[in-house]
Amino acid sequence: MDDPIIATEGLTKRFGERVAVDGVSLAVPRGCAYGFLGHNGAGKTTTIRMLLGLTRPDAGSMRLRGFGVPGHRREALARVGAIVEEPRFHHHLSGRENLRLLAAVRGPETFARIDGAIERVGLHERIDEKVGRYSQGMRQRLGIARCLLADPELLILDEPTNGLDPAGILEFRQLIRSFVAEGRTVFLSSHLLDEVEKTCEAAAIIDAGRIVSAGAIAELAGGSRAELIIECDERDRALALLAGAREVLGAERTPSGLRLALRAADTAAELNRRLVEAGIAVSRLEPVRSTLEERFLEVTSRLQSAA
Amino acid sequence: MSTTTFIQMVRAELLRIRRRRSIMAIAAFFTVGVIVIYFGIGAIQHLADPGRYGPAGGVVNFNRATVILSIFFGSLAAILLGTEAGTTDTSSGVFRDIVVTGRERLWLFAVRVPAALIVTMMLCLLALGVSLAAAYGFAGGLPSPGASYAIDSVLWVCAAEALLCVIAVGLGSLTGSRAASLTALIGWQVIAGRLLAMISFLGSARDVIPNIALGALKPGEQLPDTNGLSMSAGLAVAVLAIWLLAWVTAGAWRTRTRDA
Repeated sequence: MDDPIIATEGLTKRFGERVAVDGVSLAVPRGCAYGFLGHNGAGKTTTIRMLLGLTRPDAGSMRLRGFGVPGHRREALARVGAIVEEPRFHHHLSGRENLRLLAAVRGPETFARIDGAIERVGLHERIDEKVGRYSQGMRQRLGIARCLLADPELLILDEPTNGLDPAGILEFRQLIRSFVAEGRTVFLSSHLLDEVEKTCEAAAIIDAGRIVSAGAIAELAGGSRAELIIECDERDRALALLAGAREVLGAERTPSGLRLALRAADTAAELNRRLVEAGIAVSRLEPVRSTLEERFLEVTSRLQSAA
Repeated sequence: MSTTTFIQMVRAELLRIRRRRSIMAIAAFFTVGVIVIYFGIGAIQHLADPGRYGPAGGVVNFNRATVILSIFFGSLAAILLGTEAGTTDTSSGVFRDIVVTGRERLWLFAVRVPAALIVTMMLCLLALGVSLAAAYGFAGGLPSPGASYAIDSVLWVCAAEALLCVIAVGLGSLTGSRAASLTALIGWQVIAGRLLAMISFLGSARDVIPNIALGALKPGEQLPDTNGLSMSAGLAVAVLAIWLLAWVTAGAWRTRTRDA
């Protein structure tokens, strides 16, 4: 099916006078890891809470797995696993008992998935210990196991790597990729740009409750930027030569060469030709690739300055 | 929802309550423990000084045991267990994770009631069993409770504890706070309800106090602290039903509308 697994239109949530989510429209394709990026307080968790029926929207419509929410909430959530903020458990029960509790709510067929889910997240050795004795990382893994009880088509994970050490983050990332490889969709909310860039194929950036940019990670990172790093001999002469070129918007010296801001990204070869014709030996010529982080800061700071 | 799912959800709730060892220990103490102590002390006193202390059993002591269970310590156990069932999902934050399964929220509330009742009734019946055994076993020369009176008393105590337990589930689900619910209910049961019963100018308005209504249904001796108030059995049942319905409705409504 080609219809988005998550589709929202004009989703809005107000808390008194404050608009936490302001007309959010999203279309998350199936079978990918999709990032939902934003600063703390940007509206990520509120959006997720509305999607999951944890709080009611003030305006807008939502569809999950093709089902309208909240009208067909039960059908929509039947194969959705979610961790909102941090997974919570009954600390006086073991990991397995916590899973049994949720399996009972989901339905009889769910019990058969418990052992597989435990195995999948690697908790089998300590699953019969009380959750109160678990580390943060173990609780996150148990949270994922709980999601897997739904045999989810869609996993909604809100800041899933919070509190994890680097090894835990890497493990989590691999787990997410393995879910995508199985054809599941992962909707990953995070304020960690690096996390989204390394894990997701596409993302939406939310700022002050509004979607400010959305698309494939490469497109998002690309933006409108075109810069060039040049390493060469005779740097002063190279700077004088290129600073006046009509293709160049700005030029500056760096310790190892020059950094140019270009009108268009495809002018690097022409600039290289001019340097070589002028007798300047070029040892490095590299287009600067914007990171998602730079793009994120660019779009969010643009909003801040406009405000 | 299928019957199988409902039963599994009730069993899951039962597991959750039973595994809360501190709550279970306190509830067991307030029911079985207190009755064992009551009859135990009576038996020891009688053995030590039969001239001064009568037998620990018999119908009089059984009647006192039923009051202990219905109005005093047993009611605390019922409140404790009901509150536990009503608040734990919310206070632990697990409510959110249960809601995202898509299961109808009214069912999430509905399974709390039978689970809390099963645990409460289990302890209550155990305590009543001990009471009856002691009433017959330690009767000595005193009259023992007749079968009809014993059955009526058991039913009355069970009804009293069930009422408080369900009210506690409702209030707990309404507030989501164990501390607030326990304070309100214990405060009502131990202090406010009795004070109101003593304010004579309230007249028959005091009929709406649950303990007064319960007292009207009590077999045998009248309850203490009812200040001579009486009402028809029908009115008493109606009062108790309204209390029950009001708190169940409030708890169900809040479970359905609460932001998770």
